[in-house]
Amino acid sequence: MVNRRTFSIVKRELKVKLFSRTFIIMTLLIPIFMLGIMGLQTFLFQYSDGENAFLIVASESQNVLDNIQTELSKMPKNKDGNVEFMFEKLDKQKIETRLNNIRADILEEKITGLIFISDQALKNKQVEYFSKNPNNNILLNKIKPPINKVLTDMYFVGKQLSREELEFAKDDVDFNGFRISADKEIKEEGIGNTILSFLFTFLLYMSLLFTGQMTMSAVIEEKSNKIVEVLLSSVSSRELMTGKIIGTAITALVQMAIWLSPLIILISTTWFVLPPEFTLKLSIWHLLFFMLNYFIALITFLGLFATVGSIFDNPQDAQSGIWPIMMLIIIPFFIAIGMQTNPENQIARIASFVPFASLIIMPARITLVDIPLLQLVLSIITNIAVMILIFILAGKIYRVGILITGKKPKWSEVVKWFKYNY
Amino acid sequence: MYALEVKNLSKNFNGIKAVDDASFIVPEGSVFGLIGRNGAGKTTTIRMMMNIYVPDSGEVILRGTKIGQEFKDKVGYLPEERGLYKKMKVMDTLLFLAELKGKTGKEVERKALNYLKRFDLAERKNSKIEDLSKGNQQKIQFIAAILHDPEFLIFDEPFAGLDPINTDLLKDIILEKKEEGKVIIFSTHLMDFAEKLSDHIAMIDHGKIILQGSLSEIKSEFAQRNVTLEAVGDLSFLDSEAFVEKVENFGNTVAIKVKEASQTQDLLKLLIQNDVKVNKFAANEISLHEIFVTLAGKDSNNGK
Repeated sequence: MVNRRTFSIVKRELKVKLFSRTFIIMTLLIPIFMLGIMGLQTFLFQYSDGENAFLIVASESQNVLDNIQTELSKMPKNKDGNVEFMFEKLDKQKIETRLNNIRADILEEKITGLIFISDQALKNKQVEYFSKNPNNNILLNKIKPPINKVLTDMYFVGKQLSREELEFAKDDVDFNGFRISADKEIKEEGIGNTILSFLFTFLLYMSLLFTGQMTMSAVIEEKSNKIVEVLLSSVSSRELMTGKIIGTAITALVQMAIWLSPLIILISTTWFVLPPEFTLKLSIWHLLFFMLNYFIALITFLGLFATVGSIFDNPQDAQSGIWPIMMLIIIPFFIAIGMQTNPENQIARIASFVPFASLIIMPARITLVDIPLLQLVLSIITNIAVMILIFILAGKIYRVGILITGKKPKWSEVVKWFKYNY
Repeated sequence: MYALEVKNLSKNFNGIKAVDDASFIVPEGSVFGLIGRNGAGKTTTIRMMMNIYVPDSGEVILRGTKIGQEFKDKVGYLPEERGLYKKMKVMDTLLFLAELKGKTGKEVERKALNYLKRFDLAERKNSKIEDLSKGNQQKIQFIAAILHDPEFLIFDEPFAGLDPINTDLLKDIILEKKEEGKVIIFSTHLMDFAEKLSDHIAMIDHGKIILQGSLSEIKSEFAQRNVTLEAVGDLSFLDSEAFVEKVENFGNTVAIKVKEASQTQDLLKLLIQNDVKVNKFAANEISLHEIFVTLAGKDSNNGK
């Protein structure tokens, strides 16, 4: 199938795609875009974190107030998000009157809220919080620990416990993750691989969509340009499609290799040392699997995108044909992202063997958990089989589609093209 | 031996017969015109000859063997719907299309440059196609079709959309290639061009070949009973004349068909007797257009 003519087509594709300004721009832009999205997320989080708040802390006992004031003053100050406090002694019966006084200020957000610690709270840790927005978890999570500490301390005072015993009582449980894998050695798990699996998923998702769309519009362009029949006077439609897809796939593989090169340097040299919590459990085989999987994914999806391009003769019409393919990429993407919180969830486990989904989920899964070699081989074989099937079917539609212009074909007509003896 | 032999080609699209059992012969060294009105099946036939469409039945024989992918390398093809990569440079385009035909290297580049010089486009060789005028883009398409020095030229409606300068340029190319002994096959609905350029024709109508052979033989066969007349005066008396089979008025000229070849002399006598002023009386002459009208019916004017 790959002959002199296909090779010429591949050569041209590489010339216009790989050695072009667009390639350089996209290679730089996609990582920047990705960092941008992550940065934006962090920024949004920080921003909501950074709101100033003014809280009134009220209690029936001066003792409680004093202790809390001491504890709260130890809170770290950050420059863009200060919480200011006012302390006042208040009887339980007078809460309502007090709230009526400050209601206007609370509604105008001059006062963020009032925390009332009754004497009862010393026994049951039930604290009341009155605010326009009582569910602001970011704020509450900030002030909960100091209040908890004061209440716990005061509860145990006079209960004859040593300081160490008290400290122990206040400590949270801390889970340290260790990964059990086939290679006997038990390693402490950092979050490095979680970040990596997110990276893999995101890169796959972005580049499949981008290269897919690019291939589709290139096919539409050839069709609307009318160059396609000139080409078909020299090559067969199968050679043309193969050449285009191989050329684009090589370009995309080179791009991916450029993106992954920092990782390769990271795991194969000792030039850089990561802090222990980011340590990567990653081998060169892992990256090779990723590239092989990416290649299969490219051929499969580019075949589909090229087919859609061949059916329509303008990009507007093509949008209606493209969403089923987009779904095949987007749904697995969300499953893969969801898997970051629990890599062994059942949906992800099954989906990593389902055709199409496997191509996007398996690379993320293999980064998070150990997968038996047999399962891995099985998924590769399935994916290759699907790839070949798609390629054959795509070729059948493509050869009819590229020569049909004019009105937008119905799906029922497209189905008939399978049987055409073109 | 024939250069190309088209045998019983048929092609259906959604149950509609686009080409129906078409057979014809293209002799060596001929300029072959495939003529018919729009939608008659010309493009489908040519695409099957080019191996772009697979025929439902029938075959195309090239000098004794069935054509395949290799045939494409020997052909310079100019489809009816033709275009180029807009963003590609002129020279790159020409070299790429030649490469697809298996021609690479300095020699092709030199030839491409020669053609560009000849067509006044040498200084545009590094321009992008989209920066060229439409007429100049057409010239690039001509060059692309002949650059690899093909044995066959297959042109589908080559004169459609050409300005007079490019029309002449293409005619020159066709005649030049004919001199070189190449086989030229072109389709057209313009009978005029077909008559002037081709020496062999096949006429296709509703997917069927209704006539084929050497143009001169066809014309003499059809002409014997035909008279082309340019005259002033009332010709209505001819309708009632027994030996006149048909009178067709084309405005400036009138085509008259008699029942027997020998009766053309009687016709001339009759015209003079009836005081018709005869400006031109051409016996044994018939235009391809008239032949086509005779065979395919009046509505052939659709394509004009």
